[in-house]
Amino acid sequence: MTAVARLEGVGFVYPDGTRALAGVALELREGERVGIVGQNGSGKSTLVRQLNGLLRPTEGRVTLFGRDTAGVHVAELARTVGLAFQNPDRQIFAASVRSEVAFGARNLGRRGAELDRAVQAALEAVGLEGEAATNPYDLGYSRRKLLALASILAMETPVVVLDEPTTGQDARGVERIQRIVGSLGETGRTVITISHDMRFVAESFQRVIVMRAGRVILDGPPVTVFAAEHAGALASTFLEAPLAARLGERLGLGTTPSESALLDALAAR
Amino acid sequence: MLAIVLAIALAARLGRAMRPYLLATLPLVISILLVNTFLYPGATDRILTLGPVSATWTGLAEALQATARVVAFALSVALLALTTAIDDLLDDLEHRGLGRRTIFVIGSAIRTVPRMIERAGEIVDAQRARGLDTEGSVWRRARGVVPLAGPMVLSALSEVEERTMALEARAFSAPGRRTTLRPLPDRPAERALRWGLFLAAVVLVGLSVSGRFPLP
Amino acid sequence: MSEAIVVNAVNDAPPTPALLLDGVRYGYAGTRRWVLDGVNLEVAAGRVLGIVGPNEAGKSTLCLVAAGLAPAAIGGRLEGDVLLGGLSTRDANPHQMAQRAGILFQNPVTQLSATAPTVYEEVAFGPRNLGLAVDEIADRVEHALGALRIEALGPRDPMRLSGGQAQLVALASVVALRPPVLVLDEPTSQLDPAGTRLVGEALAGLAAATATAIVVVEHKTWLLADLADACALVADGRVVVHGATADVLADDRLVELGVEPPPAVRLRRAAAVRGVALDSAVVDAVAAARLAADPDTVEPVP
Repeated sequence: MTAVARLEGVGFVYPDGTRALAGVALELREGERVGIVGQNGSGKSTLVRQLNGLLRPTEGRVTLFGRDTAGVHVAELARTVGLAFQNPDRQIFAASVRSEVAFGARNLGRRGAELDRAVQAALEAVGLEGEAATNPYDLGYSRRKLLALASILAMETPVVVLDEPTTGQDARGVERIQRIVGSLGETGRTVITISHDMRFVAESFQRVIVMRAGRVILDGPPVTVFAAEHAGALASTFLEAPLAARLGERLGLGTTPSESALLDALAAR
Repeated sequence: MLAIVLAIALAARLGRAMRPYLLATLPLVISILLVNTFLYPGATDRILTLGPVSATWTGLAEALQATARVVAFALSVALLALTTAIDDLLDDLEHRGLGRRTIFVIGSAIRTVPRMIERAGEIVDAQRARGLDTEGSVWRRARGVVPLAGPMVLSALSEVEERTMALEARAFSAPGRRTTLRPLPDRPAERALRWGLFLAAVVLVGLSVSGRFPLP
Repeated sequence: MSEAIVVNAVNDAPPTPALLLDGVRYGYAGTRRWVLDGVNLEVAAGRVLGIVGPNEAGKSTLCLVAAGLAPAAIGGRLEGDVLLGGLSTRDANPHQMAQRAGILFQNPVTQLSATAPTVYEEVAFGPRNLGLAVDEIADRVEHALGALRIEALGPRDPMRLSGGQAQLVALASVVALRPPVLVLDEPTSQLDPAGTRLVGEALAGLAAATATAIVVVEHKTWLLADLADACALVADGRVVVHGATADVLADDRLVELGVEPPPAVRLRRAAAVRGVALDSAVVDAVAAARLAADPDTVEPVP
């Protein structure tokens, strides 16, 4: 698989002297689905902002498709990395759902039929195709979040970053986001999420990166990260494995990070 | 008067903090100096001539006086702002009868500023991440006004209802006076000084208006 | 809600519930739709009622109506009766209502007055508004901070707290008005797991220590499993299921309506569907053995 993004010895210190990242070395590949977890202040947001240039490494470097991000404008990097912010109200300004979704794609130069197609596909993916003319603030908070996500999807970037996509969503909303993540991966796009929802991460992502105090302390598939031997490392950053994993361990079934893994193991016994 | 204000400022060791206030007066001071020095009507004691206009000593003297007034004014404002704890000021105003709503508007506006600045930063980041060009030509950047100002205004407006309800839920609209938690001590000496200064100011203005005493 | 009705040994009439909604319908001003369309609920003092339901079901509206803010503060049409300690919400004005029912919303920051330099003064905001004596105010503030175990936050700047801490300060400032009923609309939805646990534990402590009747709307059904005595599933403005927490959260209709059941329930159900044996007791035991929140480890926002 092609390396889509590389962080080489990346460190970041804020102007006031606080260190947010230290010695991060990662490679993100095409079509990979990665979940980044960790306490607030562990550096998750700082890390993903290195990818689209909102923050620049104070040590080391970041490359996208082999090209160093240094000196490239954020607006230009947005062609490669789309970042859906946690709070949709920090970006919504348009009078209709459709224009809001079209904004990002339009900035990237899409016009006419190509733009309409991308917008329509994005609206359908989040289930807002029936609200294309609605004013965004007539939608509730959870649907505004889906709207913000749609506007990033319409940009059709090879890398998509989702910051806490499931907070405030009901079960249907979470399922929809899981479907979106799945289909992005299928079309060869790289999906990265920051999330507190361990179950969401364990079920929909193939790689989990655990952060603490600006460093990566665990990096591997859910079956490795949520294994019993790492329970201490997780606990040290006040995280715990999803129930399926904890149950599987208690029942002596090995590491079963997802519901289906647990049930498969039980059925096989 | 400038001398008095400067003396007080230096005594309170506020020299450095005064700088932004002084800088704010710079455009005005420059224009005062230029206009008065070169264009003072009827003056004939020239210093130098630049084409159709000439600098005069009278004009320069007038310019310096006007500048001194402006700077004294700015420094007085600076003194007030830098030496007054806004919370104490608001508490005291409310204690003396200014309505709770007015106090709330002023107080929350001041405290909300850092949050608003932070929010503005987040909005800029979010829109840049959607390809908004904030580094190109002026024309391009002008197109960013609505996507940048929009979320700010809209989110502030959409929060109004919830903020209002939260206030109601804490009995903000109860009638009567709010309890003052920490009344400010008002010593007789301070009160005497306040009234004394006020009367002195009235007398000075009166003298100046009646032509008896040129105010520096 | 059988456990809400306590039969008094001396006289047989059940005590007045702290909160009662009887045949309630509500529509916002300027609209024709009934967002609440026939709601009957009651909560006794010291009891916790959890409200679950899909988005746009009317849960937030239910909170506003239960706390008396609708229609008193925001207008709209109300049919049926909403009684706080036996008194109708139609008769009171907002500041009287504030002393009968407190409300907490999702966003920690919009609820802080943004006029207080310290948490102490923030919590004093409500009692000050009522013009209470300074001693009384001090007493209330100390009790409120103590009930939520945030005495250490007293001198801090309310605008520089983490989300979880800010929510607790907002909660304390509502509790300082000593309302017998407390309504919370998704209080943890914008908080991280540490903040969620902080608030969950604080609520449990509050219900136990005072006789406050608590109504809490949550998506995180696992939180309600520990906290709530009873639950109600609300959809399309109506109460669809109502009963003991364990029963409601295990009800199939929860999933049908798009509500995420607690992980334990979800796993048990999935196992049953698969025809695989899974010991319920073990599931519950593992689910219950969760990390406790340590308030000292919740880092403030830099």
